[in-house]
Amino acid sequence: MPTINVTVNGERYEETVPERLLLSDFLRERLSLTGTHIGCTYEGVCGACTIHLDGEAVKSCLMLAVQADGHAITTIEGLRDGSLTPLQAAFKANHALQCGFCTPGILMNMTEFLEKNPNPTDEEIRHGLVGNLCRCTGYVHIVKAVREAAQSTTR
Amino acid sequence: MASKPIEDTADWVGTRLPRKEDLRLMTGGGKFLSDMVLPGMLHAVFVRSEYAHARIKGIDKSEAVAMPGVVAVYTGADIEHAFKALDIPVLIPNLPAQFPKYHALAVDKVRYHGEPVALVIARDKYVAEDASELVIVDYDELPVVIDAEAALEDGAPRVHDDSKDNEIFAMTFTGGETPEEQAANDVEVEKIFAEADVVVSERFKVHRTGVTPLEPRGVLCEWNESDGLTAYITTQRPHIDRLALVDVLELPAEKVRVIAPRDMGGGFGIKAPFYRENIIIAHAAMELGRPVCWVESRYESLMNIGQERDQINYMEIAATKDGELLALRNRGIGNNGAGCIGVYWGFVMPFLGAVEMPNAYTWPKGDVKLRVASTNKTSLTPSRAFGNFPTRFAIERSIDIVAHKIGMEPAELRRKNIIPQLPYTSITGEYYDSGDFLGVWDNLMAQIDLEAFRKEQAEARKEGRYIGIGFSCGVELSGVASDLMVPMENQPGYGAASVRLEPRGKVYVFGGDAPSGQGHETATAQAVAAIFGIDPDDIVVTTGDTTTTPFGSGSIGARFGSYYVSAVAKACEEIKDKITRILAHDLQIEAHKQHFEFKNGDIVYLGDPTKRKAFKDMVERIIMWPINLPEGEVGGLETTAFFEADKPMICFNADCCMVEVNEESGAFNITRWVTSEDVGNVINPTIVEGQMHGALVQGLSNTMFEEFVYDELGQQMSADFEHYKLATAADVPDFEITYSSTPCPHTPLGTRGIGEGRPSSVPGALTNAVCDALTPFGIEITELPLRPNTVWRKIQESKS
Repeated sequence: MPTINVTVNGERYEETVPERLLLSDFLRERLSLTGTHIGCTYEGVCGACTIHLDGEAVKSCLMLAVQADGHAITTIEGLRDGSLTPLQAAFKANHALQCGFCTPGILMNMTEFLEKNPNPTDEEIRHGLVGNLCRCTGYVHIVKAVREAAQSTTR
Repeated sequence: MASKPIEDTADWVGTRLPRKEDLRLMTGGGKFLSDMVLPGMLHAVFVRSEYAHARIKGIDKSEAVAMPGVVAVYTGADIEHAFKALDIPVLIPNLPAQFPKYHALAVDKVRYHGEPVALVIARDKYVAEDASELVIVDYDELPVVIDAEAALEDGAPRVHDDSKDNEIFAMTFTGGETPEEQAANDVEVEKIFAEADVVVSERFKVHRTGVTPLEPRGVLCEWNESDGLTAYITTQRPHIDRLALVDVLELPAEKVRVIAPRDMGGGFGIKAPFYRENIIIAHAAMELGRPVCWVESRYESLMNIGQERDQINYMEIAATKDGELLALRNRGIGNNGAGCIGVYWGFVMPFLGAVEMPNAYTWPKGDVKLRVASTNKTSLTPSRAFGNFPTRFAIERSIDIVAHKIGMEPAELRRKNIIPQLPYTSITGEYYDSGDFLGVWDNLMAQIDLEAFRKEQAEARKEGRYIGIGFSCGVELSGVASDLMVPMENQPGYGAASVRLEPRGKVYVFGGDAPSGQGHETATAQAVAAIFGIDPDDIVVTTGDTTTTPFGSGSIGARFGSYYVSAVAKACEEIKDKITRILAHDLQIEAHKQHFEFKNGDIVYLGDPTKRKAFKDMVERIIMWPINLPEGEVGGLETTAFFEADKPMICFNADCCMVEVNEESGAFNITRWVTSEDVGNVINPTIVEGQMHGALVQGLSNTMFEEFVYDELGQQMSADFEHYKLATAADVPDFEITYSSTPCPHTPLGTRGIGEGRPSSVPGALTNAVCDALTPFGIEITELPLRPNTVWRKIQESKS
């Protein structure tokens, strides 16, 4: 079994893993970072397992743990440093989550989205969200929260 | 509805308070079922039927059992006599039906593609998955029946060997109790049709679609001899699941505890039935003496649950040429699938859909009949808009078709026939307790300028642009009274809650109904905060543990705003009674509860505001220093209250949708969506609006995208999100939610339960808008899904 070196939320890990272990399972089961969720069972459609790999939003169920060797990962548990990020605060203020199962993946995806596009239109936000399925909110409040977070950080 | 400023703590009800749930859910701190790990926990994977209908000749599990890491493999033969079949009373509604017998794992034959056949348990989930592929099932294929009408024909393949035919359920909903009364009614209805100016007669077909919460199901069971069984289940109804486990496994009732995790990733009805998977996982945990966990895959989920609608309605309406509705006649045919799910058996949904069919319109007469057919599909499972989706589509489309026939504005025809005054009992016997339907309708019309739209529409047509407007309205249940719950599901409808105060003045609320994202913690805390005049942060809400919460039938049918929160309010008022009795005694005044105000953390005597006491101090005095009390009083502040409304209750809505249709491609865009809601007194408007947005998008997604597809052999072709398409953010519009609310007179806070039935208004409004846009082509769409290709085909048919 190969040994991998990964940095997760700033902590360094050296772990021996089976080749076939999915990155999402590695994070959830080996590191107990259960905020990364599995919604479509490894199809890469629902986006609930989205994390940052070297700062880029990726779906962790479509990667093997061994592919993360030498990389730095941020999960939802490591997204904030103390207080809530502007995006998290906007999600709370605008009721952009209901059951919260899709929320970690959406926050990870839209955090990266706003870094690349700090002043998006509603249509750009809606298209930015197509990799994340939400079944509760109808997306209205999510779009509003992302817009508000963009305004609060560009102001 | 504007947000009220928080001037004092009495204003907590009606405020847009950010949710208590959000912090943990936004930071990875939510605890969902699949996040739980118990020492020694084993992982379970089901082997599921590859055929829609086949005899099981034999199962060879030897290779799977021999795989290192595998702990056990169960088949139907192993469990057939180990515990009962699932036709036990707690799971059987009081409705006349042919209930099929079934076991946790298929025993003799499989009845749908995806039915559980064997269970593999291993130390590692990857190993369990590998071993499940080594279980060899020898099948003898049987003829398959997928179509409901074909299933009801003589000589159709029989889905259940123990049923006399495939008609699992049939009922007449109009005309009286006896067959003679009903037959006489049918004759009267026929006479109305024979003499009517206008008759509309159409076959409406709604495809199989439903709800798919992002978190699939899961069960984790542990067993020890002294405490018995603890089952963590993704369930909206832990107390019902507990009773079912007790009865099927024949365990002493005190030895079974069910816990619905505090965080559940959506439910929308599919976490309401009692599922066979729960039984076999519990059995395995008991037999193996180790915790066993099963987490459903998306593939399993899409093949087994969340499938609803799937109904044909032969609907006829008789009307005058002035647009007065005279009679409704409907022959519904539901496609039940195999029906092997506890409590609902598939047909309970079409049953309620038929009850609710008359909707908000005055029908002098009706003849409503329903037949539900067993087929080799998976069972219908409850899905938000429970049973309502196909019938509401048929009614709302029929109204427009009547309007088109007599050349009347559809909005005007609706207004003319909307029930003008409540209470009202519909032709199917449904009681509408209160509200102002016309007020809601008029509020909707005030949001739009119909006359201007018609002008714009005429102008647009001259340019070859096709814009349209569509309407619908919806009476929805606000909770389900025992009057209906006992006959329908063999369960009570009351709400129940325990409220416990602790010595520092903080409040614990315990409820048996398990939420799955609706914001119950926040809304409950707001209600309690307003009643006690304290801060919502001082309130802790616990749900879903059968050992610590009072019995409740579950988070179903919009029970929160109707029954549950009413029980919470009632319990708080009882505690207030006691607090004020003792406070009056301490202050040496003659005073009762109504003479005190609970506000901003104080209890103030209104007769003399200098006579006051801090809420927390008074609570501590009663709990910790129970001396010098009034005669007959004891210390402590805790009570459980039950709330039952005198009558069934409803909420009401009306919707308007505007579209632009591309005549060349059939593609259509929703340009505006406005709603008007009577949701009673609102605890948290932002939460209510979130419920409406979610429900409307579910309705749109069901109408336009989602479809469970079976081939002619009953193979499921849509068992992943690539093939079962859910609406994404880019697919759906924004919504304008407006209110025209009336307080419910039957609940202590004037609240109504909301949001459950809400998706059912969508297909009618949207399809009406598309047909309205295409009026020059004379197109009447009567089938869902509604997609550009269907619209395009209709346009081509009309042109040729």
